[in-house]
Amino acid sequence: MFKMKIILVTACALSLTACADAGNIFGKSADKSYDGGPGRKSLSQLKAGIWVDPVGCDHWIIDDGVEGYLSQRLDKYGKPVCSGVAEPTFTAGDFSSGATIRDPN
Amino acid sequence: MLNTISKALRLFAGALVAAAFVFQASAADAQTRSQMGRDKGQYIPGIWVDPDGCEHWAMDDGAEGYMTPHVTRQGIPVCRRGNVCGVMNTDQFFATDSYRINAPGKQRLAQFFQSTGAISYIITGHTDSRASDEYNMRLSLNRANAVAAVATQSGVRIADVRGYGERMPAASNGSAAGMAKNRRVEIICIR
Repeated sequence: MFKMKIILVTACALSLTACADAGNIFGKSADKSYDGGPGRKSLSQLKAGIWVDPVGCDHWIIDDGVEGYLSQRLDKYGKPVCSGVAEPTFTAGDFSSGATIRDPN
Repeated sequence: MLNTISKALRLFAGALVAAAFVFQASAADAQTRSQMGRDKGQYIPGIWVDPDGCEHWAMDDGAEGYMTPHVTRQGIPVCRRGNVCGVMNTDQFFATDSYRINAPGKQRLAQFFQSTGAISYIITGHTDSRASDEYNMRLSLNRANAVAAVATQSGVRIADVRGYGERMPAASNGSAAGMAKNRRVEIICIR
């Protein structure tokens, strides 16, 4: 399955377009709130896991096929959440978002 | 005649200034390669809500994905719901000015921590606005620590313990009922 990603990325590298999101061959408009790739969808549907940074604090991690997302987990006071759900640099949960493009790992 | 010439000169100068503005505007349209595409460098984000209920700005520009927390100018996250899973009315657990939890309170708390089953907990103490800010910061932290000690004895993990004193009121300190609501220890459950 990861071959598909390699082919896609290679195709992207060889072409002059922005690549990957086939629905946006001529460049994306200012609206960046959706994924225009295979299976166009709103970004609000992404499924996250946790990545623990080297300090021990949590970040939401999402692998949405070709795109990857990382955003800090904060509590209601705006402080980092350092839950200890995993050791530093490790991840917890399934964060592949049901993406159809898998990573070569 | 002189009047007409000066008028023409002023008109010309005005046109020059206007032209300069137009030139600047078009230069601003495409300053770098990043602003030369169909989007002219504009990135309108979508909103992704994390499992805690807090919002993040999310953007997909075709090949890459971007995300960052949505916070207010004060740095407070914008959330649709919170993960506060317990609010202890401190009047029920502590005597005035004390940070020793009474025996039935300890039992109730231990039961709470043993049955909740979160990954870890954040404990924050709060007071009403009577007494000095400094005193309230100390008392609220002492009370939060007392709650955290029960949690640790119950075998659960504490992620953080804080005292906010009177600085994060949940209600107005203008009424007795509001002040009672502010005298609290909040327990945030991290799942």
